[in-house]
Amino acid sequence: MTVDLFLLQLFTGLALGSIFVLVALGLSLIFGLLTIVNFAHGQFFMLGAYVGAFVLGMTGNFWLSLIAVPLAVGAVGMLCERFLVRPLYGRGIDYPLLLTYGLGLILLETVRILAGTQGIPFNTPPVLSGAADLGFFFFPKYRLFLIAITAIILVALWLFLERTSYGLIIRAGARDQEIVQVLGVDVGRVWLVVFGVGVAIAGLAGVLAAPIRGVFPEMGVPVLVEAFVVTVVGGMGSLLGAVVAGLAVGVTVSFTSFFYPEMATLSMFLLMALVLVFRPRGLFGRAGLLG
Amino acid sequence: MSTAPILAAEGIGKRFGGFRALSDVSVAFEPGSLTSIIGPNGAGKSTFFNVLSGAFPPSEGRVRYEGRDITGLPQHRFAHLGIAKSFQITNLFPQLSALENVRIAGQAMRSRFDMWTKRETIAELLDRAEALLELVGLAARRHEIAENLAHGEQRSLEIAVALACDPRLLLLDEPTAGMSPEEARAMMDLILKLNEERTVVLVEHRMKLVMGISSRIIVLHHGQLLAEGSPDAIRSHDEVRRVYLGQTV
Amino acid sequence: MVERSATAGPPARTRPGGPAAIGAAYDFVDRHRVAIAILFLIVLPWLTPYKALAVNILIYGLFAMGFNLIYGYAGMLSFGHAALFGLGAYGCGIPIAKFGIPWFLALPTGVAVAGLAAVAIGWFATRSRGIYFAMVTLALSQVVYYIVFQMVWLTGGEDGLRGVSVPALDIFGLELSLLDPTAKYYLILIAVALALWLFSRILQSPFGAVLEAIRENEKRAAACGYDVNRTRWAAFILSGLFSGLAGALYAIHLSIVPIETLHYFTSAEVLMMTLLGGMGTFFGPFVGALVYILLQDVVTVVTVHWQLVVGILFVVLILFFPRGIWGSLLHWLRP
Repeated sequence: MTVDLFLLQLFTGLALGSIFVLVALGLSLIFGLLTIVNFAHGQFFMLGAYVGAFVLGMTGNFWLSLIAVPLAVGAVGMLCERFLVRPLYGRGIDYPLLLTYGLGLILLETVRILAGTQGIPFNTPPVLSGAADLGFFFFPKYRLFLIAITAIILVALWLFLERTSYGLIIRAGARDQEIVQVLGVDVGRVWLVVFGVGVAIAGLAGVLAAPIRGVFPEMGVPVLVEAFVVTVVGGMGSLLGAVVAGLAVGVTVSFTSFFYPEMATLSMFLLMALVLVFRPRGLFGRAGLLG
Repeated sequence: MSTAPILAAEGIGKRFGGFRALSDVSVAFEPGSLTSIIGPNGAGKSTFFNVLSGAFPPSEGRVRYEGRDITGLPQHRFAHLGIAKSFQITNLFPQLSALENVRIAGQAMRSRFDMWTKRETIAELLDRAEALLELVGLAARRHEIAENLAHGEQRSLEIAVALACDPRLLLLDEPTAGMSPEEARAMMDLILKLNEERTVVLVEHRMKLVMGISSRIIVLHHGQLLAEGSPDAIRSHDEVRRVYLGQTV
Repeated sequence: MVERSATAGPPARTRPGGPAAIGAAYDFVDRHRVAIAILFLIVLPWLTPYKALAVNILIYGLFAMGFNLIYGYAGMLSFGHAALFGLGAYGCGIPIAKFGIPWFLALPTGVAVAGLAAVAIGWFATRSRGIYFAMVTLALSQVVYYIVFQMVWLTGGEDGLRGVSVPALDIFGLELSLLDPTAKYYLILIAVALALWLFSRILQSPFGAVLEAIRENEKRAAACGYDVNRTRWAAFILSGLFSGLAGALYAIHLSIVPIETLHYFTSAEVLMMTLLGGMGTFFGPFVGALVYILLQDVVTVVTVHWQLVVGILFVVLILFFPRGIWGSLLHWLRP
């Protein structure tokens, strides 16, 4: 394997991993604070792609869809949290999981009813189509853009968590729910926002993945599994874990598909199995978090 | 020369992140003794108890039981070695009857993977469970769901569950927590009775309660061993008096 | 729930409050639960619109019962039982379709394959707890899905395994045609009845008591001297054997094995049936399978969007009836 081929696979892996990072990040953010696993996460991803395709079709502006999607998907997510998930807090860890699974089915089937069971086209915006010369090799511009925008989202999220008072509450809450309550913060509102932000990121990932993966109702189904793999590898509730593991899984898949394409999908599961054997709580998971 | 200790802590230290909960605590427990671990709140009593009972491993030091190193042994091995414990916060099988709570605890000593026998045909387990409920004064409540028992009754059931494996060493974490003074005194009488056949180590923050029944007292303070000795020696110990100043010793 | 406490120790003769008749009925149903279940299943084909539906209820009821062992009785939420069910089906179907092995050897092969898969998946999964367990079982079951998907030469891949034909069973010279749905139903019922009896026996055993103890309080169970992880692993394997039997019977029933059998949607389906009927109850899984399959039969005539109904059902059940049909019934009638 030559150096430029190696770099090409590496960059392909990072672009692939960017989507994994975004999906797992939302899942982890929600879990970290609300201690619920959102089984509808893949369907919010799918919803994002559809909303994006709709806005793109109406306005012809890709950038506008990037703004509209997180707002719309986040709003749907907040409605779901407020009216469906909230009654379940304090009623055992399984209930929200099962409820979100049902919610996911409803989202999936609703999209099938509204937009049909066939996929719809989603073209790469002209500015980002074609390949860029990176010196060693040519690389699709859109995938470079994916890596870049993921980095931007990560920085924005980091600033939100580290520099705003809301972020402070979220970080404190993820560590100790009671402290936040003692401080007199309206915890319900924080949860609402976190759930909204978490699924908004999933929706954004959906529209970003659309030019590569296509837009069809079942697109969120494998995404849920991928997000779980990344989360198990990175450690539940750890945002750093989601980022590192997402990129690691992307690169693993990319290199495996180069050497042994049949094993590409399986390679991420093998990575997960390795982590489970040697570090059951994940790379950055906290001990005892899951009892 | 005294007999070999049944349980020995050697240089136990425990850190939680940057916080040091215990440093260099070394204590030995004589067979047949009744030792109370006391100390003001935050002295490291519970941490020490958890290290002794294997709930988590120490950061430094070893725990030996009958001369054998048991540091870091999985929790479920302790019962089979003859070590039982009760928890500070009541820790029962809430939806099972009082009788089943004790029966299932005793069953661990003989049938763990038996998928064939009908459980109620193992008469000795039931008989033993009945006897233990009698001992702790819960015989009349045997069919009550554990969750529905009064707090004091739950504490007693907790003791019966711990006794079910017929331990040689009984570790009790604040057995009187949340009890009324009368209930607490009855519990102390029970503990004294249990001590006739087995070694008992208990954690207690109400010093007065344990002074009368203990053969030995260990005082922890700021995660360190402050004093150890007979109740009389502890009562007249200057350091201990200073730490407990304001409290009637 | 009542069934559970009644099996623990000697039955309480006097139940506080409530009419004595209900209490007596309770004890009666509980003591003869296997016989009652089998009697009901004997008349079931005469109650369903057509016989093939009754066979589905039988097989999915068995699958849900196996699933209930770990979810309802041991408190472990598995999202990967499709792998065990599906491998039971492929494990039984492949020997018949590809190697011409007789059904009475293929059936145990299917159960064994599922059991081995449960040993492997369970080993990984029981290292994790709570919702982690759900995620890990889901991910591992997808591994099985992808492997079977790619081994086209053996499994038929995306098209599913075809040609699992068992036209007739030759039992001691007695020829029984499986093309006759009634004969097929009662033959499968023999296997299910045996499984029911075995299952009830396991619940009553000391091991069954340990499962309850672990579900109730894992920490206390460990302090009592139970190796929690090994017990959970053993329960997972047992559950896998029952699920595998259901899968193997499914292959014979359908004479094909669709690849969807292995998808995690199937795991969700069996979870739904168990919830619908009432988790942790003896009859719940069969009640759940019955209602789910009848409902599916009715709804799919009207609309193709059956999944929407399932989704709404999930949400409504979790929000308002987490005990399920049979579980709620027991709760309301509780003396």
